[in-house]
Amino acid sequence: MTAPLSETGIIGAQGTLLAAPVIGFAFGWFLERGGLGSAPKLAGQFYFVDLTVFKVMFSALLTAMLGAFWLDFFGVLDLELVYIPETFVLPQAVGGALFGAGFLLGGLCPGTSCVAAAAGRLDGIAVVCGMLAGVFIFNSAFDWIAEFYASTSLGPMTLTNMLGISRGAVVAVIAIAAVAGFTIATRIEDTRS
Amino acid sequence: MNRIHCVLGLTAAALGLGAAAADFRPAANMIVVAQTESEHDHITAIELAERIIARETGLQILDLRSLAEFEQFHIPSASHATLDEMAHRPFPRDGQIVLYSEDGTHSAQAWKLMRLRGYRNISFLREGIYEWISRVHEPRLAADATAAERDDFKRATEFSRFFGGVPLSDVPRSEVPLGYWTGSANKTSVPVKQAVEKIRRRGC
Repeated sequence: MTAPLSETGIIGAQGTLLAAPVIGFAFGWFLERGGLGSAPKLAGQFYFVDLTVFKVMFSALLTAMLGAFWLDFFGVLDLELVYIPETFVLPQAVGGALFGAGFLLGGLCPGTSCVAAAAGRLDGIAVVCGMLAGVFIFNSAFDWIAEFYASTSLGPMTLTNMLGISRGAVVAVIAIAAVAGFTIATRIEDTRS
Repeated sequence: MNRIHCVLGLTAAALGLGAAAADFRPAANMIVVAQTESEHDHITAIELAERIIARETGLQILDLRSLAEFEQFHIPSASHATLDEMAHRPFPRDGQIVLYSEDGTHSAQAWKLMRLRGYRNISFLREGIYEWISRVHEPRLAADATAAERDDFKRATEFSRFFGGVPLSDVPRSEVPLGYWTGSANKTSVPVKQAVEKIRRRGC
């Protein structure tokens, strides 16, 4: 049996639909347990007083990257079949800036706002309502922004293809950078506290 | 930083460095370039004809020309597909996919798209439908052909008749493209393109 299970046809579309809420629930549960349903904790990273978000997200990226690489290496996962989202430079830069501004103002990102709302926090409910309003506005205005939305397309891009180096070398560089990042983040927190 | 964090950090670093040691393969785009240069992305019309006749399981032939051109004439057992479908449509991964277009340009682009989507058993006809018509459907033999050329023509004639084509023998050497039987660079010549147009006019 080789993953990804949906691409190799092992679980099919219905299986994918069933797996999505299970993964989503687990994601939310771990976010809440990690204390990421708290807006002050999330906003703390912008003031370098609490870098939990940075450490949680980077450790998630690191775990996924190392897991994907070694599962592919041992033939359990076929990385060639994993979907890579396309790159649209300008639209994604603008989207990222909007996302960051909303994150800073609300103190929550989409995932953590759902976690906070589920925990009964009013700020979480407010951010979820704002997010849904944003989705509504985006879709209503899509015809006006469609051209910009599809501009500066570069297709699916990966660091290995951009740099022309092996996948293993990229994994090594990111792993070392992440470990260094954790160490530096912890020292910053120790200095500030 | 407590002991558990130190152990996790060191484990991650070790797995990362191990990845660099375990994977020396070049980047995926470099692999595609290497396959293109080694011509492992191509299939010849004769090879394709052999596989169709052998009723190879899982063989899927996709015609990337317009629907009107497809309906006018296509390689037997081929189905029509668009370049857009090559980027999004799922295809069975257990068999060989062969792409062809008018002259090979679109099929080469589609081949790259499919390779980047992870399809491995995929190839295309280098000179598209022209190669099929000139090599399989309407093979040509020069009046002053060598013995080796005559042997090849005999084989090609069998293919041609199988697919309902018209082999042409004893044509002037000038109407047989350079390298036609030798397998060397076979840029489809003007006479062959004219022959294709004739076939189209008779509506095969």
